[in-house]
Amino acid sequence: MVLLQRPHILLLLIDTHQFLQCWIAFGSANEEGQQQEEFSEELLVKPLPDHKLLAHFHFQSSAPPSTSNGCHHHLFPKAISQLVQKFRVKEMELSFTQGRWNYESWGGFDPISSSNAKPPGVELWAVFDVPQHHIDASWKNLTHTLSGLFCASINFLESTATYSTPEWSFPPASGNVRYGTFPCEAVCTENLTPWLRLLPCRDKAGIALLLDRPSLYRGFYHSQRLHLTSTESSSEGIDSGIILEQTLTVVLQPNSERAIEVHASEKHVQPSWSLSSIFGKQVSGRCVLAKSSSVYLLLDWGLVAELKFPNKENGKSAANGLTSENFWSNPSFELSVNPDRIFLEESSSHSKSLSILYMFQVEKYSESEPFDIGLMWKVPVAWLCQQTPLHASRFFMGSGNERGAIAISLKSTQFTEGFMSANSKDGSCELRVDVFQVVPWYVKVYFHSLRVFVDQQPRAVSDFIEKIHVSPSKDKMSPGVMEVVLKLPCRVNTAALTIEFDKGFLRIDEYPPDANQGFDIPSAIISFPNFHASMVFLEDDSLNRSPLLSKFQHNQMHSVCTILWIIAQCAAKACC
Amino acid sequence: METFINPKSLFHLLLLPCLLLYSSIAYNSSPVEAAMHTNNWAVLVCTSRFWFNYRHMANTLSLYRTVKRLGIPDERIILMLADDMACNTRNKYPAQVFNNENHRLNLYGDNVEVDYRGYEVTVENFLRVLTGRHETAVPRSKRLLSDEGSHILLYMTGHGGDEFLKFQDSEELQSHDLADAVKQMKEKHRFKELLIMVDTCQAATLFNQLQSPGVLAIGSSMKGENSYSHHLDSDVGVSVVDRFTYYTLAFFERLNIYDNASLSSLFSSYNPSLLMSTTYYRKDLYKRRLEEVPVTNFFGSVMETIHTDAAYKALSRRNSGRFEDEMSLDQSVHHIKRRMLIKVNDGDEIHDINPELLQGEEGASKCPWSTFRNKFQKAENVDSLLNYGLVAMIPLLVISTWLVQ
Repeated sequence: MVLLQRPHILLLLIDTHQFLQCWIAFGSANEEGQQQEEFSEELLVKPLPDHKLLAHFHFQSSAPPSTSNGCHHHLFPKAISQLVQKFRVKEMELSFTQGRWNYESWGGFDPISSSNAKPPGVELWAVFDVPQHHIDASWKNLTHTLSGLFCASINFLESTATYSTPEWSFPPASGNVRYGTFPCEAVCTENLTPWLRLLPCRDKAGIALLLDRPSLYRGFYHSQRLHLTSTESSSEGIDSGIILEQTLTVVLQPNSERAIEVHASEKHVQPSWSLSSIFGKQVSGRCVLAKSSSVYLLLDWGLVAELKFPNKENGKSAANGLTSENFWSNPSFELSVNPDRIFLEESSSHSKSLSILYMFQVEKYSESEPFDIGLMWKVPVAWLCQQTPLHASRFFMGSGNERGAIAISLKSTQFTEGFMSANSKDGSCELRVDVFQVVPWYVKVYFHSLRVFVDQQPRAVSDFIEKIHVSPSKDKMSPGVMEVVLKLPCRVNTAALTIEFDKGFLRIDEYPPDANQGFDIPSAIISFPNFHASMVFLEDDSLNRSPLLSKFQHNQMHSVCTILWIIAQCAAKACC
Repeated sequence: METFINPKSLFHLLLLPCLLLYSSIAYNSSPVEAAMHTNNWAVLVCTSRFWFNYRHMANTLSLYRTVKRLGIPDERIILMLADDMACNTRNKYPAQVFNNENHRLNLYGDNVEVDYRGYEVTVENFLRVLTGRHETAVPRSKRLLSDEGSHILLYMTGHGGDEFLKFQDSEELQSHDLADAVKQMKEKHRFKELLIMVDTCQAATLFNQLQSPGVLAIGSSMKGENSYSHHLDSDVGVSVVDRFTYYTLAFFERLNIYDNASLSSLFSSYNPSLLMSTTYYRKDLYKRRLEEVPVTNFFGSVMETIHTDAAYKALSRRNSGRFEDEMSLDQSVHHIKRRMLIKVNDGDEIHDINPELLQGEEGASKCPWSTFRNKFQKAENVDSLLNYGLVAMIPLLVISTWLVQ
């Protein structure tokens, strides 16, 4: 009987096989029609008060949720989507930084500095969507994968002695966050190469063509950052959508012959610059795979207040002033290319002046007519960037085992007064400061010795510390973590936190090969949750298409002030 | 029913001895010598830290550039650099590394990929790379994924001495460690041929304990001799290249990907008076004659291209020795000669499993299974296999319908 049925079964099998092939082919064609992958590239250029230039590249790629496993991507990098699916990453940020962000000169209260001023070396934090007991294993595998992907020693973050679990310092305040930094990691071309490979046009077309390696690494500060978020997957069979944001922030000196540092108050004409003089290249057209490709020039409100615009008084009103040529060619400066659009900042709490954003579309340009924006200054202009509410710095006191202590000092800046008077409703106004500090296990901190000084007077700790979370270090096992929420009076001049420590004993094989350079302690992070560093530009349809400007509006919930750390040379040498 | 069962049982009866015959033939021929040279790998290690050892970094990067230029892709290069010179704060030319004071060539380029950097360059990681014994989490880009058809170039530079090589001024690799790792690699069939090139002081002593066959070693100086740097770049402030590597590069800069310069011409190009040391080659473990081995066997990756006219046709490997109609027009005469070089010497390598199997086929003509296995091996394409399968089902269909009627 089996033999009788066999030929029919064979025929049936062959038929269904053919049918299945056709169905799968049609099915995959149907999926693409639903939601597309998108990629956009943007560059924002901003002159800084100390005659330097900030260039901020922003690339955003998004992949919609899809129903098939191992779906085909045509724009989104497959390496990232595989990483997200395998380790079930909900949110992740990885940054490679070299240099110190100079808060006094470059400001700290604008959207760019609050999200792009990063600690030196490698910083990685990730939120996972797995059960609690699996998170450490996922973190370890993630660090190894990233180290292979980005040619960096991120795999050193796998050991429990290097990463920590912050409780409330990072936005998703649950136990799923892991944070690790490796301050002494060098950042060079080999980290940029794979980062650029994630872009659809690499560095061969579009705005990324400007990335000349020697020019980038000659800067005073450079930080490449990768931030990805994956949306919640609603059901089991659907892969989550992913948004990948890659930014590169560099601070460059336009005129390289002038190697001397110029203070903002000196009255010299700022050096004129253009994209070709800074990077040595011009933008010869957009990346054809990009949905939008634009270049922005931002003039800070502090700068606009100093400039002489003829009809500045009418500047707040809507459209009639914006189209006048005075906005890009006037007695103070001149732009080499006419902007396509000009945006005025919509409203600002400081109300002295408004920032101006010039937008240039790259679509109009091509290889025969490349795009090269330049700014020529005609008169000396000096201005100040907006500062963070308190200026923070951290230093050692004493010497290792001899009364050694770590001190975090907070000083008010001149912008603080303006804020406080604006924000205080009744007599009692409080400034909330969050401090997050991780120290390696060989810096043995005595948490009971925490002292608070306000206006140079020692005060009781409970008066100013609202809550504190401490995780003491275990030798060779885990670092010491301290999270503090401080409530300071608004009129405070200075405040300081000090905490004593002893140096732990390191065996000879635990010293790095270049122990003479000392040990790097990870940066502390100071944040001001009550302040929103946002810039809102005139609402428009076209504005909604720009991911960079939407970040300016919505995503800056608090300004984070990251302090960079002095290498503990004295401490290490005393140990030997 | 009766008539149908008999051929079927005969089929099953013949199946078992055919399989046994096939497996015995397959395992009798030793697979290692029969393995063809299929891919090239390079492991380039710089073991020195600190700014004054700039020249070791430049040495390694020069080899990296050469090897990439001659065809080995980044996926098959493991580059280990113990320190960062290009973006070092002492480097006047950020993101640039030079090996000559004329600064003509930026070795760092735009697309460099470093697999192990900084503190990761340790003796332990080096031995793990060679032997392939990594933890499970280590990504593929940091592994040496070679097989029995690989030719591996291992280049090491740094400071060394009598039977040791110093890693980052804190630990050492000794000659018996290296010999042990190579022996493990041989046992695990991780290479077909291995060329070790070392540019340190007293480099030849590092090879004293090597015993594995298929290994060729070259060191820049003998026991008691130092290897010297070539010249000082007063702009960068340090010596930028070592003599041995400088003259090696001078040899390779004259080559392109199609040249058939042999290893013996590379070895004879070293002049002891210019190098100020005697180069030493260890040839006793290497069976082939050096005049017949092109340098691109190790330093480049020239893939064998066989021209075919039709797509998706299975290619008979036995006939690949005859190539009069297989040359594409834009390949030079030198290329033909080079291919002849390889074919004549590796005659035994071209004959892989197939001839033995074909003999087996003639011997057991009643065994239809082995013909199916032949077709399976020859068919390089799943589509053709599917076609064969579907075609094979048709007679069964016909027979069964005939039986029904």
